[in-house]
Amino acid sequence: MKSLNRANVLTRNTDWFAYRFITPVILFFIVWNVIPVFWMVGLGFYKYVMISAHGPVFVGLKNYINILNDVRIWNAFSKTFTFVVVGVFVETCLGIFLGFLFWGSRNMPGRRFALTLLFAPMVLTPVASGLFFRLILDPTFGILNHILNTLFNIQINFLGKGFNAFASILLVDIWMWTPFLIMMTLAALGSVPSAELEAADIDRLPFISKFRYIIWPHGKFILILGILLRTIESFKSMDVVFTMTFGGPGNATELLGIALYRKAFESFKMGESSALSIIALLVAIGFTAIFLEILNKRKKVEG
Amino acid sequence: MNKTKILSITLIFLLMFSVVVMAGGNKDSSDMKGSSDKIEMSILGIGGWLPSSLAVDMSGLFAKYAKENYGYDVEFSFQESPFSSLFQKAATSLATKSQEYNIIISDSQWLGAFAEPGWIVQLNDIIAESPVLSEVKWFDPIVKSAYMTYPDGSNSLYGLAQEADVLVLYVRKDMLEDPAERASFKGQYGYDLPLTFEDFIDISYDEYEQMIDYFTRPADDFYGTAIQFSKEYDFMTGSLYPFFWSTGGEIWDSKTGNVEGILNTEQNARGLEKMVSYLKYAPPGDINYGIGNVVEAFTQGKVFSAFQWAAMGAAMIPDNMKDKVMIVPPPGKRMADGTVKRVTSLGGQPWVINKFNDDVHMKIAIQFMEWWYTKDTQLEFARRGGNPVNAAALNSPGFEDIQPWFKVLKYMLTEERARDFWHEPTYAEMLSFQQEEFTSFASGNSTDAMATLNSVAAEQQRILYEAGRTKTPPTAK
Repeated sequence: MKSLNRANVLTRNTDWFAYRFITPVILFFIVWNVIPVFWMVGLGFYKYVMISAHGPVFVGLKNYINILNDVRIWNAFSKTFTFVVVGVFVETCLGIFLGFLFWGSRNMPGRRFALTLLFAPMVLTPVASGLFFRLILDPTFGILNHILNTLFNIQINFLGKGFNAFASILLVDIWMWTPFLIMMTLAALGSVPSAELEAADIDRLPFISKFRYIIWPHGKFILILGILLRTIESFKSMDVVFTMTFGGPGNATELLGIALYRKAFESFKMGESSALSIIALLVAIGFTAIFLEILNKRKKVEG
Repeated sequence: MNKTKILSITLIFLLMFSVVVMAGGNKDSSDMKGSSDKIEMSILGIGGWLPSSLAVDMSGLFAKYAKENYGYDVEFSFQESPFSSLFQKAATSLATKSQEYNIIISDSQWLGAFAEPGWIVQLNDIIAESPVLSEVKWFDPIVKSAYMTYPDGSNSLYGLAQEADVLVLYVRKDMLEDPAERASFKGQYGYDLPLTFEDFIDISYDEYEQMIDYFTRPADDFYGTAIQFSKEYDFMTGSLYPFFWSTGGEIWDSKTGNVEGILNTEQNARGLEKMVSYLKYAPPGDINYGIGNVVEAFTQGKVFSAFQWAAMGAAMIPDNMKDKVMIVPPPGKRMADGTVKRVTSLGGQPWVINKFNDDVHMKIAIQFMEWWYTKDTQLEFARRGGNPVNAAALNSPGFEDIQPWFKVLKYMLTEERARDFWHEPTYAEMLSFQQEEFTSFASGNSTDAMATLNSVAAEQQRILYEAGRTKTPPTAK
């Protein structure tokens, strides 16, 4: 009985100790995340242009209706989905491929240095990367066109033509974020128990079977988490595009992030941009739900 | 008290302390102003724009003047932001009623957006009461109407012109003077290349196009012209409007607030097509060119000519090109009587005074303005590369020789030859839409100039109608 009481006291003390540590984080989260989100939800029902003399006017769902009837927003959604699907797919394939290569070459000399170099694009500031690539791809002064011109006598207007510009921002995104999926692949592979892998080696299991029965069940959560994070990040992409093309030429690279920026900070339509942010947030939540559902489904099938 | 409790309480105090320290670090610096002997003033201006930074570079002269005449010590600091984001920076600060920026170098079309929410000081009374400001004679009526007045046509003054500017043409004088080029051009087109400022006054779009065609040599990576087509801010718009205005077109009716039927005309559609046709004489990346890219193309010797703001003169003419460049009026439309009509875009910026300044900062801001418009200060501004605005400076003997672009500035800075666009609070929305549509047409995403103008006109009519600026609703798109 005495030991039970002692255990209860210990638990209460531990709880109190934990609460004290978590309280500042919760407060921070409420002040900087929850309140602004509620504020934004509310503002989405008002017509409010920051640079007009008029205060917010309640308009119900009109902002949402305007957005859904705006061809340019649909165009931005369409481009964003293409950007996300193609970008994340290529990054995932490359990330898994390179991750396996590095995983299988643990004794390669200079491996750590190579990995550091490979991860460099991911840690660079996106704005700086965007500016670098804008200069590199410039048709008149860019180094890439200089090389192409010298070697093959061709010149490509990378950022001046709609398709080229979209492909360019996509390639820069792939260059920047493939390392993230390499890292997630390595983390996923690191979570596979070595005993099981050794047993598979002793049983001379082919790689496909080893992947299916040992690597995938252990590593899938981390890998899918990586893909999920990349999908959400890619959906919000703005900085690189902003510095490389500003959504142009025309609206060829106008992703949702740029469209939202222009609505909020060029037109100063705070009500409509809040509504658009809510729609974007719901889409991001939708992505998360789909990924979690896939994970849970597999768990249920396996369980 | 056990060790874990002591540890946790210490950590919580440390956290709270760091939050307090951080909050203090980010506190509005205005709270500190005036508390020491030296008064701190802050100017928000355009990053990388010489005339803006000159205001602060010259503030040391004002500090000396203030000490001698008013007996206080003052120090100016400069906050800056690029054209495309300066308004956001100012607006988000002013919306919180902050006096973070005591004086703001605004763009002329932002006057309405600053004035309507009541963020800036209406200057009529201040000017009337100031013996200095009330006596300033502006170089041309356009200075007052474009940089100071809101709403258009009213007597309400919200800004004072900080610098004047116009879009002009920079040309390679050394190439025009080259005997071989002259002979070759004459052989091809049957007339001489222009040589002087006066020759360029007679250059129409047709002759200019022949010149840039002649100088376009892709094999040598050399092109006839550079012109701004960037989607950012008003870059393409500022370059496009002269093609409308010079050919007799308009962009709206400032009295009725109507756009439809005025912007979307066949005449303006031809103007849009004409500007876009210049892309074939421009470097391959010109479709994304902004102010900086045009400077780069011209100073790197990639183009024969460039449409650029007069205020960029210092950047456009580096030391190694000092004798190779001439700055002239841009081309225009040849009229039936043989003269050339040209109307260029007005650049330049007014400065506005933050309405939330406390009394001390308000007083200094006004005294700074009074000092700025003295003839000596204006001439010093000119010597350092800025474009002054008052008649006393611009009409003073030898003014045109101070900087190579002053002759064209004086020639173009008139109501007849320069025009500004809307000063409406909705300008940003109107601009944002048309920048997208115009650049879309320029990049070939849309191919019908008239359809582009119809779309822009309908949207701008809707924006102005919803803002209560016009009584005419837009036609259905």
